[in-house]
Amino acid sequence: MLGFSGVLFRLFTLQVLQAAELTEKADRQHRMSVTVEGGRGGIYDRQGKVLAMNMEVTSVYGIPASLENPAGVARDLARVLHVRVDEIERKLKREQKFVWIARKLDPEQGRSLERLSLEGIGTRMEGRRFYPKGPLLAHVLGFAGMDGQGLEGIERRYESYLRGETQKVVLQRDALGRTVFPKGLNEQGPAPGHSLTLTIDEVIQYIAEKELDEAVTNARAKGGVVLVMEPRTGAVLAMAVNPKFDPNSMGGLTPDRWRNRALTDAYEPGSTMKVITAAAALEEKVMGPGTLINGENGQFAAAGRNIHDHEKLGWMTFAQMVQKSSNIGAAKTGMALGEERLHRYLKAFGFGERTEIDLPGEAAGLVRDPKDWGRQSLASIAFGQEVGVTPLQLLNAVAAVANGGWLMKPYVVSEIRDGKGAVVTQTGPQIRRRAVSAETAQALTAILEGVVTHGTGGKAAIAGFRVAGKTGTAQKIDPKTGRYSPTLFVASFVGYLPVDDPRLAILVVVDEPRTEQWGGTIAAPVFRRVAEQALLHLGVSSKSPIKLALYDEYGEARRGGAERTLVRLASVGDPS
Amino acid sequence: MKTLAGMTVVGLLLLLLCVWERVDIVRVGYQIERLKQQKVQLQRERDELRVKVSSMTAPERIARAATEKLGMGPPEQRQVVLVKVAPDFAPGRGAELRLAKSDVGVRIP
Repeated sequence: MLGFSGVLFRLFTLQVLQAAELTEKADRQHRMSVTVEGGRGGIYDRQGKVLAMNMEVTSVYGIPASLENPAGVARDLARVLHVRVDEIERKLKREQKFVWIARKLDPEQGRSLERLSLEGIGTRMEGRRFYPKGPLLAHVLGFAGMDGQGLEGIERRYESYLRGETQKVVLQRDALGRTVFPKGLNEQGPAPGHSLTLTIDEVIQYIAEKELDEAVTNARAKGGVVLVMEPRTGAVLAMAVNPKFDPNSMGGLTPDRWRNRALTDAYEPGSTMKVITAAAALEEKVMGPGTLINGENGQFAAAGRNIHDHEKLGWMTFAQMVQKSSNIGAAKTGMALGEERLHRYLKAFGFGERTEIDLPGEAAGLVRDPKDWGRQSLASIAFGQEVGVTPLQLLNAVAAVANGGWLMKPYVVSEIRDGKGAVVTQTGPQIRRRAVSAETAQALTAILEGVVTHGTGGKAAIAGFRVAGKTGTAQKIDPKTGRYSPTLFVASFVGYLPVDDPRLAILVVVDEPRTEQWGGTIAAPVFRRVAEQALLHLGVSSKSPIKLALYDEYGEARRGGAERTLVRLASVGDPS
Repeated sequence: MKTLAGMTVVGLLLLLLCVWERVDIVRVGYQIERLKQQKVQLQRERDELRVKVSSMTAPERIARAATEKLGMGPPEQRQVVLVKVAPDFAPGRGAELRLAKSDVGVRIP
């Protein structure tokens, strides 16, 4: 009886008096709270091809205190991790409770490490960012840091969407440390980040990068940019920057290498700017396509500055001035317009302000206010000196001419979807403003078509397509002397096609080519090759009539044969 | 007497049921945990394969394999014919069909 009451008393103190305290103590032993993060969202091209995605990989840590033989463990680890033995050993001998040995291993290494199962060495799974296409589109995608935070490019701009939700989860463990069915039945894991669909086309991006790399190598140039846009929407199809980098292995690279120079760096565009001068002159009816201008035989003094042309020209029409890329003609056009009007059109076409593309680090370029212009500024700006523009600004402005005068807002992300695949936001074309009238755009297009058929841009011509464009050969300022360098140039070509229904606007910029300097010989062929392949990829057919050469080449030039071919094609084309 | 025995048996059975239920909850709990682990494992494998597929289908790699291993090259203008399907053959359809044709005279319709 006495014993029983003793037991009863103990039971009472444990179960009632100390209940709260003991429950807490027990919970502390078998409960563990961990922070879990949903995976970072993927990035896909317009066809749904993977450009960036997350994958769970192994990270290895050590508990130095529980190691008896650090040297031996280090040797075993070094064999799997391909790291130097002494480096691991040094880490394992530190007076710390916890030390990272290697983070975010390759999946193969992770597997062989788990087979090893060493004492005092643990693994943890972490999300690692993979860019399966390597350097493709690297400047636009940017990259994410070790802790999965976006540091550059789209990864940075869309960080708040891409990042997965973080959640504190309380797990119950048994005596062996395994997790048991959680108490709260809260089975909703943290939501993964949103995924992005880009306007970029992987194939066109590849074409642009390949052709740019080739051109830069052949011209022994410093670098370059190729941009491809859809003039009607402002959607960017490709944005290639040279030199490239691989976002999967960033070690040892400087910010200079990953800066997206298509929009962070302004340069003096040179003759490609004459497109804008011409647009202003046509719109203001200062000039018509047939207005005669005196080329002064290649030498002209304007406001105390001698302007030269690369070709000695006499009287020419306004259209010929653009086609032959006469600086003197452009300077005279600028002077006919006057400072205020030229400045107004520069602004209308978006120079001196950001295009507001959805990428970080964009520069506004440099367009000074007319009151700060010098005596020579008007003439210089008319042919593309004394203004700083980014490649993106320039292409966007020329695309406005292709688009009947409407200036669009360029963009690269077209769709954001949540973890379940439901569309969160969708971006469509956005008009910024009308830069010039449709009539002006049309008249200018006819002139620019002449650049390719009769002028400096002959190498941009594509059989079967009507191409409009403008060459540019800009002298660079020599940083040593502060004057225009006779040897440093930027060769460029900007244009669009097909003329009657523009599908592509393309800009090619080659920085400091050393074999030759002319935009017409360095950049125009790149334009042609990119355009040709991109049109083929998009399935844009030539408007020129197809001779039914099909059956001539088959060697059975009979009508019946051709009809059979067509019948078969029709049955292939019909999905039913 | 009989009823008392019967009630004891029923009571015992109920107790057993109760215990069995508890034990089973834990058992199923472990099972769910294991399946969850398996799911995570499979998801990882899937992601790994996705990354692999994506890197294997990179246009650069395909182009390299095509040119170096198979001796192919990009088609030239005259080698590609875009054919507009005549409306007679595909009523109400303006569909275009792309046809690549090799230049050695082999018919690939």
